Amino acid sequence: MSDDSLAWLGTDPIPAAPYHDPLWFGLEREAVFRRSWLQIGHVCELPDSGSFIRREIEVLDASLLIVRGRDGEIRAFHNVCTHRGTQLVAEESGKRSNFSCPYHRWSFGTDGALLAAPDFDRFFVDKADCALPRVALDICGGLIFVHLGTPEKSLRDDLGPYATMLDGFPAAQATTFSEYVYDIDANWKLTYDNFQENYHLRFIHPRSGAPAVGEDNPFGYPAKMGFHGPHRTQTIWTNPDPAPKPVQAQSFGRAARFAMADGTAGLHSRDYLALFPNFFILGSPAQPFSHTVWPIDAHRSRGVIRLYWKGEDDCASRRYAREYAMASARDIHAEDRDVIEAGQRGLNSGALKHIHFQAQEALCRHLFNIVYERVSAYRAELAAITPPALALAEAQA
Amino acid sequence: MSTLLPAGFAALTPFTDCWAISGSIARAARRGDAHPTDRAAFFAAAAPLLDAALTHLDTCPINALSPADQRLMDMMLTLAHVSLTEEILGDQEPAHYRQRRAMHITRTPAGA
Ligand code: FES
Ligand SMILES: [Fe+2]
Repeated sequence: MSDDSLAWLGTDPIPAAPYHDPLWFGLEREAVFRRSWLQIGHVCELPDSGSFIRREIEVLDASLLIVRGRDGEIRAFHNVCTHRGTQLVAEESGKRSNFSCPYHRWSFGTDGALLAAPDFDRFFVDKADCALPRVALDICGGLIFVHLGTPEKSLRDDLGPYATMLDGFPAAQATTFSEYVYDIDANWKLTYDNFQENYHLRFIHPRSGAPAVGEDNPFGYPAKMGFHGPHRTQTIWTNPDPAPKPVQAQSFGRAARFAMADGTAGLHSRDYLALFPNFFILGSPAQPFSHTVWPIDAHRSRGVIRLYWKGEDDCASRRYAREYAMASARDIHAEDRDVIEAGQRGLNSGALKHIHFQAQEALCRHLFNIVYERVSAYRAELAAITPPALALAEAQA
Repeated sequence: MSTLLPAGFAALTPFTDCWAISGSIARAARRGDAHPTDRAAFFAAAAPLLDAALTHLDTCPINALSPADQRLMDMMLTLAHVSLTEEILGDQEPAHYRQRRAMHITRTPAGA
């Protein structure tokens, strides 16, 4: 990709404060995370009517209850009893025909409706007005997204051409997954950026990442980049002449054969999508992982990585191939964490007013540009609202 | 002794105690906690038998493996982790070990 074709993204240094400033983080919560579709799960987690998962969205102080109703539809609710706000469900996942509040036993159906409440005729409200607060939910490529504000566009409209790509990724057909999770003392953008640039590959993954670099492309720079709205894509370059080790070759060979047999080895084996704001997914059939970076505060995040699989383990080779793929992906991800935290410690000092992105870090620049746009627009909105206290003071003056 | 592992895999008998491990989390942990000499010895014995072991195990229903077959299965699953140290990381393993401990496995099809 030529550097000129990325000129529209700009070339200026990037202000450093958004990567460590708590005030900026507070603005991002509303401007970015309350106003975007957020990836929180997969349809395979909700196989039956009554299946549910609880998901904590710490960046918005929200706990969500995602349920498959008796009608088969998957819905999202705030995990909050409409009597006096008690969190309704404590389990992480399960299957129930209704949800009964531990406090005074109001009970809700899988569609969120209030079914029954002890002594309800002594209340001063209709049952119909006591349903669980609904949260917008949409599904693409088997992946569940929620929107905790008011969506301007449906998920598919928001994703544009990437919706069709997602439909073709292995995760779209998944029925189970492997998962590993890490906490990191780093801002979500700094963490996320690490996984959308290849500049660091040869330094941080000299051995584990060897197949992604080669003599004619020592940094493993991508073969292609693309952008749509706030989202982006990249096509991974792969070494045409890799030298896999014996167990590695056998392991990935098996995984590739299963992917072919399962029909999950699609068009996108070298593509990944970086969906705004915090979701990343790779189309590789042998190691088809997704990675969500959840902000916790300005300096802390949590990464959730999943490898999605189609079908249960029906034989030893398949079980083995999945264990190997997970262990090998986890190795590579483990190598990134330390250096990201070191970056955050450097930024926290406030020593830098700016950081720098080169042309091959275009995806990082794109993420920053979009965040900056959204936060700026939100600030403008805030400035347009006269604070009530000020209005009162003015009226009294 | 004869029932510890299926026929053809007697070479792995000395490694069953330490390396036939149930659960992905425990397997990943054993890789990191093992003495380097023991880990290398297990790898040297098990890696050449990987293909034969999986070919044998593929003939049995995965959810009804005999105790001997299950032991072999668990050893091959541990090999998946161990091979990454022995084949890929080499002398980077000690540094890597600390980094890896922050990545908490929560779920795998084989049972976390
Ligand atoms: S708070 Fe849930 S029933 Fe009272
Ligand atoms: Fe990396």
